[in-house]
Amino acid sequence: MNKTPLLAGLIVAGTFALPALAHGRTVTVTTQLKAYGGDGAYLALYLVDAKGAYARTLWVAGGKAKYYKHLADWNRLSAADGRRLAGVSGASVGAGRTLKVTADLADALIDAGYEIRLDAAVENLRDSPAEIRLPLTAANAGRAQAGRQYIQSLSYEFQ
Amino acid sequence: MDWKRLHRWLGLIPGSILLVLGLTGALLAIDPVQQAWQAPAAADSLTVADMLEGVSRTISGVEEIRRLPSGVLVAYSFDGEQPRADRIDPASGDILGSYQPSVLPRWVKNLHRSLLLGDAGRWGAAIVAACMLLISASGLVLLLRHLGGWKQLPAQVRGSSLQRVHVLAGRMALAMLLLISVTALCMSAVTLGMVAIDSDAEPGVTSLPIGQPGMAGSQIPFLRDLAVADLRKLSFPDASDAEDTWKVVSRGGEAWIDRYSGRLLAWHDATPAQQFYDWVRMLHSGEGAWWPWALLLGLTAGSIPLFWLSGLLMWRQARRDLPRIGNNSPLAQADMLIFVASEGGSTWAFARALHEALARNGHRVHSAGLEHFQSGPQARQIFILAATYGNGQPPAHASRAIARIEEQRAGALPVTVLGFGDRQFPAFCAFAAAIEQALLRQGWSGLLPLERIHGQSAQQFMLWGEALARALGEPLTLDYRPRLPEMTTLRLTARQEYPGCDDRPSVILRFRWPRAGIRDRLLGRGLARFAAGDLVGIVPPGGAVPRHYSLASGSEDGFLEICVRRLPGGLCSTHLFGLAPGDTVQAFIRPNPGFALPDDSRPVILVGAGTGVAPLAGFIRRNDRRAPMHLYLGARDPARDFYFGPEIAHWRSEGRVASVQATFSRLPGGAHVQDALRHDAERVRDLVSRGALVRVCGSHAMARGVAAVLDGILASLRLSVQQLKIKGRYAEDVF
Repeated sequence: MNKTPLLAGLIVAGTFALPALAHGRTVTVTTQLKAYGGDGAYLALYLVDAKGAYARTLWVAGGKAKYYKHLADWNRLSAADGRRLAGVSGASVGAGRTLKVTADLADALIDAGYEIRLDAAVENLRDSPAEIRLPLTAANAGRAQAGRQYIQSLSYEFQ
Repeated sequence: MDWKRLHRWLGLIPGSILLVLGLTGALLAIDPVQQAWQAPAAADSLTVADMLEGVSRTISGVEEIRRLPSGVLVAYSFDGEQPRADRIDPASGDILGSYQPSVLPRWVKNLHRSLLLGDAGRWGAAIVAACMLLISASGLVLLLRHLGGWKQLPAQVRGSSLQRVHVLAGRMALAMLLLISVTALCMSAVTLGMVAIDSDAEPGVTSLPIGQPGMAGSQIPFLRDLAVADLRKLSFPDASDAEDTWKVVSRGGEAWIDRYSGRLLAWHDATPAQQFYDWVRMLHSGEGAWWPWALLLGLTAGSIPLFWLSGLLMWRQARRDLPRIGNNSPLAQADMLIFVASEGGSTWAFARALHEALARNGHRVHSAGLEHFQSGPQARQIFILAATYGNGQPPAHASRAIARIEEQRAGALPVTVLGFGDRQFPAFCAFAAAIEQALLRQGWSGLLPLERIHGQSAQQFMLWGEALARALGEPLTLDYRPRLPEMTTLRLTARQEYPGCDDRPSVILRFRWPRAGIRDRLLGRGLARFAAGDLVGIVPPGGAVPRHYSLASGSEDGFLEICVRRLPGGLCSTHLFGLAPGDTVQAFIRPNPGFALPDDSRPVILVGAGTGVAPLAGFIRRNDRRAPMHLYLGARDPARDFYFGPEIAHWRSEGRVASVQATFSRLPGGAHVQDALRHDAERVRDLVSRGALVRVCGSHAMARGVAAVLDGILASLRLSVQQLKIKGRYAEDVF
């Protein structure tokens, strides 16, 4: 898993099978990694609905599909989504680095019980599925949450 | 195929990156060795359920248990917010200590597998691994060539000390190096995604909540049947996800288990490719292997710098020895053609001397590599100067030379072949002889018969030049200037004179050499270490060519001793004979590795005549092991040339020499050393059948006579001098 420079301002086109974006908002998710003393981390940032069912992948950091099984929850939940990587994948993120991801979300997803989740895995270190779970609400915007192992803080902002 | 060039350039260029992979690989072997010591011994019958029962008492909130290839078991848990990784004893569940993935910094492994360059670096490392495979394979071809085939693989290695280091280490490490490079390539193929070894398919199964707490791991039937030794990884169901399952990765495959019922929900067999890959990985990394294997891997990887450095030095030496030939006439205009086959380049120095001598006489001379052999329109004489590489092989660049000769029709002009080689090899000058045979078969004639030059002897070359001058009918001055090693000043401390016979007095000279400082010793300056049987090269004042004398002492003796017979008109021997204590000479050591005695207790038959007894006396002097040495010594007259006489008697009383048979040819009823051997045939046979080594030192004629007598004696054992030479048990030092 390679280190990559800071990934800032990545625009992710919102052209997937989602409710029409007639009333949409752009969300920017900022993920700051801890200096956990390992190689670059594989991360999966995704949305689940109120029942815990997979909704959509926002970003997958890490290029080798054979390691996705270490992002166990995302890999299991999104298995049926044939386009889960379409335009939303990049290189793994080095320890101490920051990943910024932007995505267009329909208003209907906000304050509707949806949750942003992040799975993380680092080679030779333990996997951390559900490293972070953060409800997608207007009130939570700008509030940083720490992960269990690898994430210093994750926060999102609406534009 | 030019294996030698392939070996050299791959070794020098990608080899410098391989050096990095070798050093890091050697470091990485520390981990599996260290982990093997840490791994707790688990009984074969211990099941995962047993282990979970123990662990449930010692660690709460375990999320995952991994069994590392080394057998170390690591339990991952959270201590409040703090993630923990503990080494556990599977039988009791006790915590043995916290787990550190490696004692090495992470960059060591990343440097090893990707040169710190990410995926591009992985490709780079894979290419270097492919180069390593080619270097090892070509090394094997060259090793077999050098030694003379598979059957000779255990034979004694000859050559310069650099060559010997390279070849000896190669013989030991080649199999491992081949294995390491092949396994590295397999691992690269998997890492780079060229080969997929496991399916990523998730079964998509979930636990079915039935309104009661989950089943304890120790109760689950699957885990009660699974031995800890077969476990790879056990993931506990997530406390916050009611549908999550147990997931087990074992040697046999992967399992998903319902957290409430304990029922097996899905099972994926491990693919044969996965199992093969696990093997490859174990062989390459040593993880999970018996720890001496990891140690062996580390040592092999650590030997790569040795190969690289000795190879680099050999290449530099060969380059330095390559002379440049000026005024080389084009083939079309030349009347004298010189074709050269040289492995290390030293034969070119002789070719240059011949080239310049002929050019001084007004000839237009064309010199080229033997691979270009052909006649020219103006040519009147052709000379071939051919070195033999290893045991009878042509130098690499001239490997097709004989085929080329056989493709061409013979010309009317004579071709003269001069062979260069080392008498230590049974197939002495065999390549030059094969060329001469091929030329004769094709119908070429020769001006002079094949002459074989031993050990780059300048004297022999001069004598050949004299014969050539007579045959050409013109004076010829061969000005051969070998590249001389760095000289050391020796100071004479003692001389012991012998009147000798036929007005050829002799003297045993003892020298002292200046002590080298630490700096000089580290840089390899100063007089090289030497042992009896090695040679000292001495350049007389006003001379360019060194004379070599066999050493009668070793560095350990603290003095350098030679036995010199004054030859009429001999520049060097006359100079040495005239030295008074306190006088100095310039000298260097030339190793004579095939002749030196190995350090063991096998019986030894020493045969020497005249000043040839000197190295044998040196062997006896340092026979601290009291190996049974039997000396056959030939001289003319005990009163005139019985060198080392009193010393030999003293060593006999000390038991350093088991028996001494001295023969004196000028006494009434005089005999030669061959006669003494023939007389002792029974004992010689007995000694040889018990593995005795034989060392012969003296004149050519004497060495030939001794070999003939010994062939006769050994015939009934179905042995010959030739066979003993091949086994490295028989060596000659002749002059």
